[in-house]
This record gives sequence, structure tokens and C-alpha cells, in this order.
Amino acid sequence: MALINTASREIQCKIVYYGIGFSGKTTNLQYIHQHAPKDAHGKLLSVATESERTLFFDFLPLDLGIVHGYQVRFHLYTVPGQVLYERTRVAVLNGADGIVLVVDSAPEKLEENFQCLVELEANVRQSDRDLGTFPFVIQWNKRDLLNAVPVATLERYLNRRRVLGVEASALTGAGVFATLRATCKAVMAQL
Amino acid sequence: MEHSSHLVVTEGELGNIARILGRLSQTTSASHVLLLDKGGQLISTQGQGGQRDIVALGALLAGAFGSSRQVAAILGERDFRNIYQQGVHESIYTSLVGDLWLLVIVFDRQTHVGLVKVLARRAVEELEHSLERVRSGGTSAKEQ
Repeated sequence: MALINTASREIQCKIVYYGIGFSGKTTNLQYIHQHAPKDAHGKLLSVATESERTLFFDFLPLDLGIVHGYQVRFHLYTVPGQVLYERTRVAVLNGADGIVLVVDSAPEKLEENFQCLVELEANVRQSDRDLGTFPFVIQWNKRDLLNAVPVATLERYLNRRRVLGVEASALTGAGVFATLRATCKAVMAQL
Repeated sequence: MEHSSHLVVTEGELGNIARILGRLSQTTSASHVLLLDKGGQLISTQGQGGQRDIVALGALLAGAFGSSRQVAAILGERDFRNIYQQGVHESIYTSLVGDLWLLVIVFDRQTHVGLVKVLARRAVEELEHSLERVRSGGTSAKEQ
């Protein structure tokens, strides 16, 4: 839930990067952390296992500058991707203003991506909201894979709502900021 | 996720919240008293504690509370309304305010947790009135 503070003229919003394990959610945040201007972001915080798999979430506060006289701050979160952590994903989704579904373009991950989308839809529906009207962007990640599933195929199976899809390779940074910009824009449009 | 899309906290209400938190900070000798929304966003903070990464602290505490809510659901509870984290030097007491906000008190071993619990309960009641006013006056967008 976006918080608008009229005293300090600040708007705070929460964006959650959702997706299957190893789809590149943490890599997105790491790239933003490394390449956004230093004075625009805080520390990247990761609650991870010893093998650096996300256990709870990654968190990155980001200042977007001043819009209509208000300082706009986005808090970016990732969720743990493993199936085991569904309840944790629900906890992190709490209060989200926008969601990015990070899709792994590898052909063997298509089914898993689909199940993840079904789970996300159910979690959003539980709070009486709908992904079709919620600020929601899909990132087609790992487009640099030689055997990446064509975007048209991904669109057919995973984007029935025809929300904005952004092609990306989070490892190289391609599409990372485009995804973030699109999501921020969608969130701001709902305020 | 919650139903309403955003909350507007006015200058007047923020002043009222700051007074409640300031008084609580003084009476409990807390190093930090925070009011967060359940998404982890900081609404107001009071206290004489040293420099800390309050933004990260807020995100982690809200995450821990969100996690406990899922634990509560597994046990058939609606919510755990309070969480106490005890450290050697400092401890944290977190209380749910209404169903949207979290009151966090960071205090040291000079302060007894019983006192913190009693004073937190009073503050929660006052903050619930604030939350109601914010909801009725400031929430300009509901279901999308």
C-alpha cells in the first residue's frame, strides 16, 4: 500500500519481484544497486542462506526523485523462488503496490513459470484484487540463452492479460531498468 | 496485500503520531520507537538512539511480522498481535496497530519488558484512533 506523507512530501511504494527459483530476481536488484546513482539508493539487504539462495527477501530502497513536488521512494523486494517458500512469498507480497514477474526463458522452465503465475494469481486474488488491474509487468528474462523460448510463445502461455512484457538479460543488465521504469510508471499511474 | 491502494497521512495526523511515539519513547527510555505499515514502510520514528539503518530495520521487522502472520494462519490463529525479540543488550517489542500498522519499540536492559508491554498497549489504542482518521479522511483510492 503506497504511503503518502503530506508533511514531509514523500510517497513510498513497494514493488515485489516474483518468479521461480534462479529466474534472476536477485540479479535484477543487484544490477540496479550497482548501476543506479549512488545517492539514489540505500544498501542492498539480503536475507539469504549460506549458499546465497534467497531465504526471505532481498530489499533495496531507491529514490526516484521529485514528482509533482513529492519525493518518490520505491522499496524493491524479491521473494524466495523455491516452491517450499510459498508462505514466505505471501508474507513479502503483503502491501505490494506493484509486481514484476521475472520469467526464466529456458524451455525446461516453461511449466514451472506457468505454475508460478497460477500461484501469484491465487495470492493476489486472496486479497480481492486482480492481476489484470494491478500494476503488473512481466520480464522475459534470460533472452541471451541460445535456446530461449520465443517471446511469442511465452506471451501465449504466460501473458493472457496482455500486460507489458519486457525482454531482459539481468546478468548483463539489458532490460533491467526498462522493467523497473515500466513498473514504477504503472504504480504511479494508480496513485 | 491489503485492499486499499494508498493511505494519505496528513501533517496534522503525523504530528499527533509523533507526539504519541515521543511520549512512548520517553516513558520506556526506548532508543527507537517506530511506526511502520505492514509493508515495511516507515511512517514515523522517535527516539534518542544512535545512527541506524532505520529503513532496513523497518523492512526486516515488517518481514518478520508478515512471516509470523503466516505461522499464525497455519496454527489457525488470525494474527499474532505482538512479537518480542530479546537480545543481550537490546530487545524489540512489536505490536500490531489495527490491521495495517506496526508499532516497534527498541529498548535496552534497563527497561523491563512488562512496562513496555503496558505502555505499548496504551499507545496502540491511541494510534488506532489515528489510523481510523487516516483511513476515513485520507484514503482516496480503494479497489482498483
